[in-house]
Amino acid sequence: MDSYYDVDAILTDSQKVPCTFELSVPGLGFLDGNMGGDMKQGTKVELPLWLAEMLAVSIGHTKLMYSHSSASAAVPSFTSLDLPSALSNRVVAALKADPRTVDLRAQAPHFYALGARILELFDEDEIVDVLSETFKVRVTTLADQAHNPRGATGEGADFLRGLDETERKLFRDAHDGAKAVRTWLAESAKKK
Amino acid sequence: MALPLPRGLTPAEVAFTCEMELVTIVPRQRLEALELLGGTTPALVPPRRANVALWLALLLKRQRRANIVPPPWLLPASLSAVLEMETNPAVEGFAPTPAAPRSGGAAASPPFLPSCTADAPRNALPYHWLEVGEMLLEAAADDFDDPDAVRMLLKDLHEARGAKVRAGTQLLDAGGVFKLNGVGGMEVAESRGFVVGVIDGLRKIGASREQARREQEEEEGGIGGDEGDDDMDL
Repeated sequence: MDSYYDVDAILTDSQKVPCTFELSVPGLGFLDGNMGGDMKQGTKVELPLWLAEMLAVSIGHTKLMYSHSSASAAVPSFTSLDLPSALSNRVVAALKADPRTVDLRAQAPHFYALGARILELFDEDEIVDVLSETFKVRVTTLADQAHNPRGATGEGADFLRGLDETERKLFRDAHDGAKAVRTWLAESAKKK
Repeated sequence: MALPLPRGLTPAEVAFTCEMELVTIVPRQRLEALELLGGTTPALVPPRRANVALWLALLLKRQRRANIVPPPWLLPASLSAVLEMETNPAVEGFAPTPAAPRSGGAAASPPFLPSCTADAPRNALPYHWLEVGEMLLEAAADDFDDPDAVRMLLKDLHEARGAKVRAGTQLLDAGGVFKLNGVGGMEVAESRGFVVGVIDGLRKIGASREQARREQEEEEGGIGGDEGDDDMDL
């Protein structure tokens, strides 16, 4: 699915993650609202994932640049990544308690996609477990509501508003499948 | 990418494929054997029963040239037995499909197995149960003793089994094994998009772990192999 033209993948990569600059970078201050200034070492900024990832994993390149200096060992990369707030301990704890009540859309519109990208960078076994479990539980609930015409308007409305993009797509899939069969049943009844 | 066609078969296509199932009819008129591309139909001599393809049976029924004998699994008694099986929480999985005859040989898979004829096994749902049931009810309601009860039971079964398919996603693991034994053709068409999406989503979440596992396996394999790796590093 990770096609070059996949809009969801692009939107996922544009979600912000918190980073800390490990180096002072001249002229990059505009990222922190400091026009024309320098980016100071230790500044915390929210950067889009695609940029943050590049800056954080560009370790090989930095080593090459600084290989002649004695400081090469002390220069890991431009920035260090932190877990985004959508995957913070608070959210993970809430998901563990009851996946159904968490508003994933408020955390991140592409919550699972963001989680998958972050897990490529971080080695967090616990988050993998929590996310899979959350996904399974929520998907079952949303499938039931996709089949139940009252689900979308009645008591399930809050839950459905909190679905992230992956879940919305699944909701549509489940709904379309049931609708196609219903249409076929109605049509075959009409033919008589 | 630009094709908006969904994956798999649409309900209408599934219904079309099930029209090759054999059903039993009681002809009212004589009809010579027809030599068709798909094979020769039996000569119809009233009032002898004959097994013909569903499409032909429906055609003859609409022209009032034949009556259809509902398969035994489509009778209220059998359907309620299956429904009981489906709603019993102690029973795992779906109601069993009719057992294949042991002497059947290579051709004993559903389309070639007479699973909708008058001598089909009862208390088991064949692959095309929903489609055949609905089509027979539409075209030949007067051949059933109690068509409304059958209609209700089919609807109940459809809902009960649909809920089971959806609940099945909770048992999934990252391996993505989804047991659909006994699920009918129309049900597969109905839930294909959803189930495939769920498995895909789980795979993406677990992708990093899968990657780590593979790397570890490769590493272990390398250690267990020869010392060529060390030479490469030097």
